[in-house]
Amino acid sequence: MSDAPLLSLRNVSISFGGVRAVHGVSLELRKGELVGLIGPNGAGKSTVLNLISGSVRPTEGDILFKGKSIVGLRPDVLSRIGISRTFQNIRLFPQMTAFENVALGIHGKPLYSFAESFVRTRRAWRAEAEVRERALSLLELVDLTRYAKERAGSLPYGLQRRLELARAMATGPELLLLDEPAAGMNEDECGSLVELIRRIHEESSYGMILIEHHMNVVMELCADSLIYVLNLGEILASGSPREVQADQRVIGAYLGAKRSANERRRRRIS
Amino acid sequence: MGYLTSILILGCINIVVVLGLSVLTGYTGLFSIGHAGFMAVGGYAAAIIYIRLHVPFALALPLGGVAAGLSSYIIGYPAFRGKLRGDYFAIATLGFAEAVRLLLNTTYPVIGGAYGLMGIPQKTNLPIALAVALLAFAGAQSFVRSQHGKNCVAVYDDETAAQMMGVDLLRTKLMALFISAFYAGVAGALYAFYMAYLSPSMFGISKSSDLLAAVVFGGMQSIIGPVIIAFVTVALPELLRFLLAWRLVIYGLLFVVMMVFRPQGLLGYRELDFGPGWRRATAAVASRLGKPRPPRGPQGPVEGTP
Amino acid sequence: MILFMQQLVNGLSIGAVYALLAVGYALVYSVYNFTNWAFDAFMVVGAFAAYYCITLFGLPLPVAIGLAMLVTAGVAVSVEVGAYRPLRVRQAPRLFMMISAMGASMAIVNIVNLAFGGSFRKFPEISSASVELGGVYIGRMDLFAIVFSFVSLSALWLLLGKTRIGLGIRASAIDTVTAGLMGINNNSVAIIVFGVSGVLSAIAGVFFGAKYAVYPYLGLVTTKAMIASIIGGIGSLPGAVVGSLLLGVIETFVSAYISSVYRDLISFTILVLVLLFFPNGIMGAKTVDKL
Repeated sequence: MSDAPLLSLRNVSISFGGVRAVHGVSLELRKGELVGLIGPNGAGKSTVLNLISGSVRPTEGDILFKGKSIVGLRPDVLSRIGISRTFQNIRLFPQMTAFENVALGIHGKPLYSFAESFVRTRRAWRAEAEVRERALSLLELVDLTRYAKERAGSLPYGLQRRLELARAMATGPELLLLDEPAAGMNEDECGSLVELIRRIHEESSYGMILIEHHMNVVMELCADSLIYVLNLGEILASGSPREVQADQRVIGAYLGAKRSANERRRRRIS
Repeated sequence: MGYLTSILILGCINIVVVLGLSVLTGYTGLFSIGHAGFMAVGGYAAAIIYIRLHVPFALALPLGGVAAGLSSYIIGYPAFRGKLRGDYFAIATLGFAEAVRLLLNTTYPVIGGAYGLMGIPQKTNLPIALAVALLAFAGAQSFVRSQHGKNCVAVYDDETAAQMMGVDLLRTKLMALFISAFYAGVAGALYAFYMAYLSPSMFGISKSSDLLAAVVFGGMQSIIGPVIIAFVTVALPELLRFLLAWRLVIYGLLFVVMMVFRPQGLLGYRELDFGPGWRRATAAVASRLGKPRPPRGPQGPVEGTP
Repeated sequence: MILFMQQLVNGLSIGAVYALLAVGYALVYSVYNFTNWAFDAFMVVGAFAAYYCITLFGLPLPVAIGLAMLVTAGVAVSVEVGAYRPLRVRQAPRLFMMISAMGASMAIVNIVNLAFGGSFRKFPEISSASVELGGVYIGRMDLFAIVFSFVSLSALWLLLGKTRIGLGIRASAIDTVTAGLMGINNNSVAIIVFGVSGVLSAIAGVFFGAKYAVYPYLGLVTTKAMIASIIGGIGSLPGAVVGSLLLGVIETFVSAYISSVYRDLISFTILVLVLLFFPNGIMGAKTVDKL
């Protein structure tokens, strides 16, 4: 068994037009581990995920996946070597059915050749059947079998979130990045989502990074693992949920963010 | 008799181009306003290799398609490599079509410049045109239901998300462009061997607009809709001659009205589907073209879910 | 050397016409993030309006140009209201906007074609005199075109940068929704933007018509302007000007020293090369902040 971490960020920084969005962030994640990434609005959480999934490129530092640097690789390449994600504002393919969305995750890199898309060979039929089977089992996992034929865009919000999760798993990841999976959900939906993510975490060997605003969701899911707190683009603290919650700096950062937001609001009104 | 045949043949040729354009525009969301350029490349290439190199007609058709397909990389690669907005790809296609026309117009040796290319034997007849159109139809149907085709739709729906799901954007777009250019090239070749001569003026902007109109009116993400319109746009002006002059005005106004009130087009997002029997039949046609029938044909992913 | 300078001047005068058009594109693009595909129709309307004001009603040139601007601005605004606004309001995909605008353009151009006929008309002689500058001759018309282009571009620059209206336009450009919440009327911004781009295209139409001829399909030259704005860097006003002048000069040199036959081929070749080596256009890197 190798001890190399699944993912490690080494001193990663990125700036947009002179503004440092993420600065000197280092973190490590092992196979099968689930870590939380929290922080006030604008702390750079999503940017960290974007850096890992390859949609932006760090200006400094290195990102290693299974011991190899992945800086500069395109998102589709990263997806193929095992990094998958969901989006803060759901990005399903609205015109495709739920089934097709999940199937697409499986065949983002098609399983048969261009020529076989015109004239199906035995191999191509077999590939189609495999895709179908896997997609259906993933839909079953997130309890969406009933909606397989529904257009993704017409599903209720909470179901779209689940569907996106299934699609992210369809690419066959080793690292799963969840960007606020519970955003916009009510208590009930949050509860069943926590249940689902926990089950996925227990049954799979994915390394997972979870960004979440619902504190109880993070605290519950990361109960026996690490939480990183990001503030102003830097890691402010890390530790178990209890440690983090007790950390004065963390409380300060959240209150500070809240206070300045309040002040801004007050100023705008007057 | 001859008149009707001619409409049918031209209709079939039009259907072939529009099928390809539908893969590009309707399914992948890439807008080409210069598809007549690819027709020209295919037509001239096929005619010349037939006349000069004595390549048989049956081979000249697909080779014309291949020539057009390869030529599409000239614009496809630079335009898709940078994440260029769709508009600029459209301009690139327009530029390409104009450049092709200009080159043909000014190159006198071998291809006859502005006088046109004469001496092409008339080889395209109704059975051949029909057979090619049917084959093209079956191919397009099969493609859009394939994994490659679904990836095209994903690119149309959300490029970023598609890329995150492992879809290679450059490859997928180039592939859609190649298919559409190939189809246009084959159609151009059919056209060349039907008209028995070629001239650069046959492939102007108004030809490209006709093609585009078929896809827009027929509907996005539909194969059958554009096919119907492709045929109608050939037959109708012939039947209603008095409308010919106003054709482009009407198209234009209809474009606007359509986008404002019914942007999905005639049959957009809806495939021709007469139930399981039809699906089995199309699957059988698709597989008959290649290997013997598969053990058990799990076909379109849509059906069969509980 | 003198010949070289002469060609340079000729190139710049063509480039100036492209620049007027390209700035019109860049203006709409920088606000709405889409290419205005109906632009060629505006130009045609401008050229025809000016032509008929002079030949039919015998109006003096400045009045004719003024009227042409008004008519074109009117057409531009109606295209905005009829073909763009309904789509913009429901945030339709860009593809649909493009189709709608192309439809508007197709309809307008072909109405002009059917109503007035497709023949090439010679624009009434404005002035054939030329000015000599150190052995280089500049047609007064060309000089006027260059000067006028720069004047209107500077005016636009000031409008966007220094006035309240300009501020509203830029705010609308950055974030339409927020601008709306902050009390900016996005619809009037749209009318101003399209009106201004209509005026620019009318001027370009007149100059183009005077330099070559007036005919329904003269709008095809807008392709060049689009190419110029890609070369310059998408959505950048300075980029559009630089790209246009560059394209005008290169085309002129190619016609002069290689062959005029390949002039139009060159613009396409340049487009492909720029896309290959500068995917964001030559001034694209500097267009982080819009304007």
